[in-house]
Amino acid sequence: MSQSITAGALKPKDYKSAIKPIWCPGCGDFAVLNAVTKALAWLELPLEKVALISGIGCSSRIGAYTSVYGFHGVHGRALPLAAGLKAAREDLTVLVAGGDGDGLSIGGNHFIHACRRNMNMTYIIMDNEVYGMTKGQASPTTAPDWAGSKLTPGGTAIRPFKPAALALASGASFIARAFTGDPNELARILVAAIEHKGFSFIQALSPCPTFRPEQMDWKYQVHAFEPETTSNPVLAIQRLQADDGMGMGIVYQQDLPVFQPGGASPSTDVASFENEFAL
Amino acid sequence: MSIIEKIADLNTFYAFSIALEEEAAERHDELADMLDVHNNPDVAATFRKLAHYSRLHAQEIGDRAKGRTLPVIAPWDFGWESAEGPETGDIGDVTYLMNTAHALQLAMGNEQRAHDFYDQISRESQVPEVAAMAAEFAAEEKQHLGLLRGWVNKTKASVDEQLYDPDPPHMPE
Repeated sequence: MSQSITAGALKPKDYKSAIKPIWCPGCGDFAVLNAVTKALAWLELPLEKVALISGIGCSSRIGAYTSVYGFHGVHGRALPLAAGLKAAREDLTVLVAGGDGDGLSIGGNHFIHACRRNMNMTYIIMDNEVYGMTKGQASPTTAPDWAGSKLTPGGTAIRPFKPAALALASGASFIARAFTGDPNELARILVAAIEHKGFSFIQALSPCPTFRPEQMDWKYQVHAFEPETTSNPVLAIQRLQADDGMGMGIVYQQDLPVFQPGGASPSTDVASFENEFAL
Repeated sequence: MSIIEKIADLNTFYAFSIALEEEAAERHDELADMLDVHNNPDVAATFRKLAHYSRLHAQEIGDRAKGRTLPVIAPWDFGWESAEGPETGDIGDVTYLMNTAHALQLAMGNEQRAHDFYDQISRESQVPEVAAMAAEFAAEEKQHLGLLRGWVNKTKASVDEQLYDPDPPHMPE
């Protein structure tokens, strides 16, 4: 038998569903899908042991394009849905995905509390600094002078969130930034994030070729964090504040107590599961 | 460690070559799906055909490696000189408006990089059997380039064609 790029029996393509993505050709979200499937195959995770929860937006469609369990939830509410699932089914590998608007605006409050709660799950924000599905409005990560939308013809004049710094200030225990132009590196970071015990956050810079075509130049701007990782939050915040937003890698990783509500059982027995919620 | 140093034996060379072709096939399929969904059936069919040939090539290499124990290498540990394998096209290089000539131009770029990859190994590897097989694979990639040139000559589309959509998706509200 010939060698494959995966260690296990399942190949990356086995984690893809038969549904063809309707993302625009050239969209960075394709690379996130590619990286997720490579990471899951590398970790040899059975399909039925993974759930991908998403919100609303272009990137939140990703769940339908995988063959693992999924829940395409309400706008901005992917994290609480995922937290509920993880509380009930500790045995599952829970991935959460969405865009910068979904995760940092509509779901912004959930994001900061998910960071401090430190449940064992992985959250990927596909950051293209724009609301793409609604045809290109400024999002919480859009630069203040971006004037590409008629809603903000002179730009928003509001400083954008720095998602990684926000995650650090909110208590996340694993923080990384990756670029979709390098799906293999994104897959490596995803594997580390999934293996991390606690809340792992990945800001995946994912160019929008339709509403932010200038982002296609990100491939010339990204650079690796040197050194890559620290467990010291002071060093991490200094690095993030000094960074141009294009530093890539696992910027911070720390072992912190993981929140897992008591009484959760990996049992899939419906009767005993119902008993846990009986009044 | 350079990629030449990493490919220190024939088994590793096979592992790299299979990954190179499998990744290329996967990407061609992804590109075909993108163009399918965006109602560009000609370009989708071209990418689908390219995926088929990449898969055939991976299969051929796999058959030659039969009976060998190949190293299992994580996708991020190959250390390709670009972000992905040399024959893997960049997702960002496609647009829904592209024509068959553009698709073939991308494919030729991929084949050229694959040729250059094998050619470099054939010239620089210190392992004679690796260098010999790399030279053989470089010649095959050159052949593929020739076949693609034939396709380019047959296609009616042109890379100079103006890409125009009277109703573009980018209409800021």
